[in-house]
Amino acid sequence: MQLKRQKAGALRAALGLLTANLLVATAHAQAPETVPISHSSTTDSDEDYESGSDLNSGRTRIDSAVLFYQEAGGRVRAIEPVISATLNGSGGEVLNLRVTSDTLTGATPNGATPSRLTQTFVTPASTGASGRNASSNSESGSTIRQYKVAPHVLPVDDSFQDQRWAADIAYSAPWGEQARVSVGGGFSTEHDYTSYVGNVGLSHDFNQHNTTLAAGLNLEYDQSKPFGGTPTPFTSMSGTAKGGDKTKSVVGAVFGVTQVINRGWLAQLNYSIGQTNGYQNDPYRIISVINPTTGDPSRYLYEGRPDRRLRQSIYLDNKIALGPTTTDFSARAYHDSWGIDSITLEASERLQLGQQFFIEPGLRYYSQTAADFFHDYLLSSQALPTFASSDSRLDRFHAMTESIKLGFKSSPTTEWYVALQDYRQSGSSHRAGAPGALATENLFGGAKATSVLFGVSFAFW
Amino acid sequence: MLEPTDQGYLYSFSAMASPCEVHLDGVSREEAARLGGIAEAEARRIERKYSRYREDSVVSAINRSDGWPIQLDDETAALIDHAAQCHTLSNGRFDITSGVLRRIWKLDGSDRVPDQRQVEAILPLIGWTKVLWRRPALTLRKGMEVDFGGLGKEYAVDAALHLIARESDAPALVNFGGDLRVTGPRLDGRRWLVALESADGDDDCEGFLEISEGAITTSGDARRFLLKDGVRYSHILDPRVGWPVRDPPRSVTVAAPTCMEAGLLSTLAMLYGRGAERFLQREGVKAWVVR
Repeated sequence: MQLKRQKAGALRAALGLLTANLLVATAHAQAPETVPISHSSTTDSDEDYESGSDLNSGRTRIDSAVLFYQEAGGRVRAIEPVISATLNGSGGEVLNLRVTSDTLTGATPNGATPSRLTQTFVTPASTGASGRNASSNSESGSTIRQYKVAPHVLPVDDSFQDQRWAADIAYSAPWGEQARVSVGGGFSTEHDYTSYVGNVGLSHDFNQHNTTLAAGLNLEYDQSKPFGGTPTPFTSMSGTAKGGDKTKSVVGAVFGVTQVINRGWLAQLNYSIGQTNGYQNDPYRIISVINPTTGDPSRYLYEGRPDRRLRQSIYLDNKIALGPTTTDFSARAYHDSWGIDSITLEASERLQLGQQFFIEPGLRYYSQTAADFFHDYLLSSQALPTFASSDSRLDRFHAMTESIKLGFKSSPTTEWYVALQDYRQSGSSHRAGAPGALATENLFGGAKATSVLFGVSFAFW
Repeated sequence: MLEPTDQGYLYSFSAMASPCEVHLDGVSREEAARLGGIAEAEARRIERKYSRYREDSVVSAINRSDGWPIQLDDETAALIDHAAQCHTLSNGRFDITSGVLRRIWKLDGSDRVPDQRQVEAILPLIGWTKVLWRRPALTLRKGMEVDFGGLGKEYAVDAALHLIARESDAPALVNFGGDLRVTGPRLDGRRWLVALESADGDDDCEGFLEISEGAITTSGDARRFLLKDGVRYSHILDPRVGWPVRDPPRSVTVAAPTCMEAGLLSTLAMLYGRGAERFLQREGVKAWVVR
């Protein structure tokens, strides 16, 4: 859209000049002087809108982006570059390759509650990492590390550092006139964790391509190889060597229907179900056992979670294109066998500003209930539960994400973008009935985070 | 064919799938035949060079280039330059690569309306911005095509009139299939009387126009449409979205100094759909709109 109204008859005047130019040029068989036309002299009307992005066309498309993520309070900081290539075959085949690298540093809550006292934690030392107030010494061949946390501070282990590499490949191809098959796989590795995923999918069009039914199956196999071994749940935190590696597997399926409602409205409904079996604990995470009178910690035990988890979700997405804007509204409802129910509501609006710029503000709301076995702490006067975790991600909380994305097309096939995101969790920080001194401590371990993403996408053919 | 008129001769022939006429006032029969012959030769030359239906045309050569650059002669390059600038001027509404849309929009009065996916599948092949034009080399993406259908006949009128005016001072009117231009008033100083063709294509005449200078073109053909679920889809396709323009006029007749200008303005007015009148008014164009 032109912001400045053009002068009446500008198009006609420019056209007259052009035509005169052309007719003179061709009549005398000479090269004409081209008349430069600036966009400020082009026409404008209320019906003006831009055609779809050219970025999706072309043989090969490269997307490259880097994400900077920072949690408030000096917690996790991540830098994640990603590069992906999409190759389009002449027969409608699409091959996508993606490589991601994450560098994570900073501090993560270790699971213990804050206290009025200085707390000391002992853990196996991870190679090359040492936190503030940390001291390392060798005892009987294994290295242990000790760190202290000041009073009234949420205990975090600030030695957290990891480098993750991931590679994914996906291929899809038409199968007959109406159907499409897809197959994909991925691998990711970090110092203490390795993951393999694979998936197959089939989609089929009906109703003159207005309706698409899709089904997919995905499998995942993960290996957990914690520093210092895998602790047995509900044993005391220590620096000694522990058990061997653990694994888990995931089997999941997704069923979806996509419907073209009209030429500007696309709706999608998905149901997904997945069963996870195996080791699902955080091997570094502990839970405080609290003296029921004083509220002071008496022991720190490794957490324990069930080894089975069944997850189900329903997802509805609407994409509505109206003139120069595209609205996306989605809702997701989730339930799992750990007792977590959640809803996600997300809306974004993409506004095209002229041919080259777009701005896309977005808002996301998330709310979940706590897992059945979530506890901020355990009481020393009570018998140990079967399962317990103080992971704030299993707690009841709400989260709001505000985002804005700005894009700039430097050529018909090249788009640059920057996205800013602000994420904040909120939950109950003070538990009713917290004993003794714990009543005044902030027990909520949720995060506030800011991220910036810079990216460029370009196509060539 | 040559026949006498009240003030001279009418030379007529058929080219570019249209009846073509050259009116010449105050000339001898031989002079009328010579000047008419020049106009006819020019029309046939342009048709041969730019028809997409002829295997040996420049347009067919471009459309066969299969993703490779192709070197263009000066005249074609000038036309491409012109088309590119019209694309810019019209914010992408006028686009010589839009002809590919005819593969899915068969405007035969039937109800075969393509769905959005068919349209989306073909949109990557449409759009002047996807073309690499470094005069004199033109590179289209594989599968793309150009089409001078929106320019060629108008260009032929202007070119033929130009050649006649270079040879003779005789008052002349060149009319190729309803796109016409005059050199000036008639021999007796009066205006040329032009019948305005009915948009519905029956032989009824919408009326007469008088013209003493410049050109007149008419866009619109109400016979070409699709009808589905009570919705009438016009034959005016917006290349930016691949769908027909909503509520275009049945026809737009525009007067302008040259046929190419008039042709582009009348085409653009149709592309503005229900905003046609507002566009013409804003541009200060002399026009007749039939709704």
